[in-house]
Amino acid sequence: MDNKNFTPEDSLLLITKTIEETKERFKENGHIIILWGVLMFTVFFSQYIFSLTGLYKKFDIIWTVILFPLGAIYQFFYVRKTINKKNLPKTLLLRVITTMGWAMGMNLLVLGFLFSHQLGDAMAPVFIILLALAMIVTGASIEFKPLFIGGLLLNVIGFCTFYLDRDFHGLSLMLGAVIGLIIPGILLNRARRKENV
Amino acid sequence: MFKDLDPVLHSQLRLSIVSILMSIEEANFNFIKESTHATSGNISIQIKKLQEAGYINVNKSFKNNYPNTTLSMTDKGRKAFENYVNDLKKYIQPGK
Repeated sequence: MDNKNFTPEDSLLLITKTIEETKERFKENGHIIILWGVLMFTVFFSQYIFSLTGLYKKFDIIWTVILFPLGAIYQFFYVRKTINKKNLPKTLLLRVITTMGWAMGMNLLVLGFLFSHQLGDAMAPVFIILLALAMIVTGASIEFKPLFIGGLLLNVIGFCTFYLDRDFHGLSLMLGAVIGLIIPGILLNRARRKENV
Repeated sequence: MFKDLDPVLHSQLRLSIVSILMSIEEANFNFIKESTHATSGNISIQIKKLQEAGYINVNKSFKNNYPNTTLSMTDKGRKAFENYVNDLKKYIQPGK
């Protein structure tokens, strides 16, 4: 790099360009959001099918106990691989989103396994509202409107679920997975691909 | 060289390194190398100068049996960068 004729204008340009390029390098691509959306949809759709076919008692726990922890394990290795591959730096944003994701996941797990009896019919709405909060914060943090709006809609779905009969809670969760996670996740993925072309 | 501009920061590669570190908490050597497209030797020299000025922290460790050098800004470095940007603005917009 040549330091001769390095003017103040060049300096400002270099600073702006470097900061922008650095931010671009660790933008979330929506992969994890889509993963959890699909996982959530699969779990509740299969539970719905099982309930129709009378197999619910046999498979409901297996799906929830196996698929969600599998998702968490996949996420752990995916994030670790991505960080190592891209030499990703530590950022405040990444730390906030990661911590919030794990804290929310653990809370949902504890609520689901230990307090589902106490929560009763409120389990599904609470699940959706907690998920909505995570999506709203993530959408606002990474400044991606569809994710933020998806989170808001998910929040509304959560509150509406309180008014629904328990039989329709699975439907709410599936709808929430599509509107709050899968669609915004796909849009985010497409947006990032477009930026990288 | 422009008068009053911090000579430690008024260098393309050092300014690039500092700009990267200003937008994140901590980065490793490879990230800096990939971002700046400079050679390892040149980066090492500039890192040493920034470290001697007290602008960055350099932490050397091992990760999966490979050396891992991580860099982060010090408070002094952040202050110096802010002053540098303010000085640049004065040059560009002297009336303001």
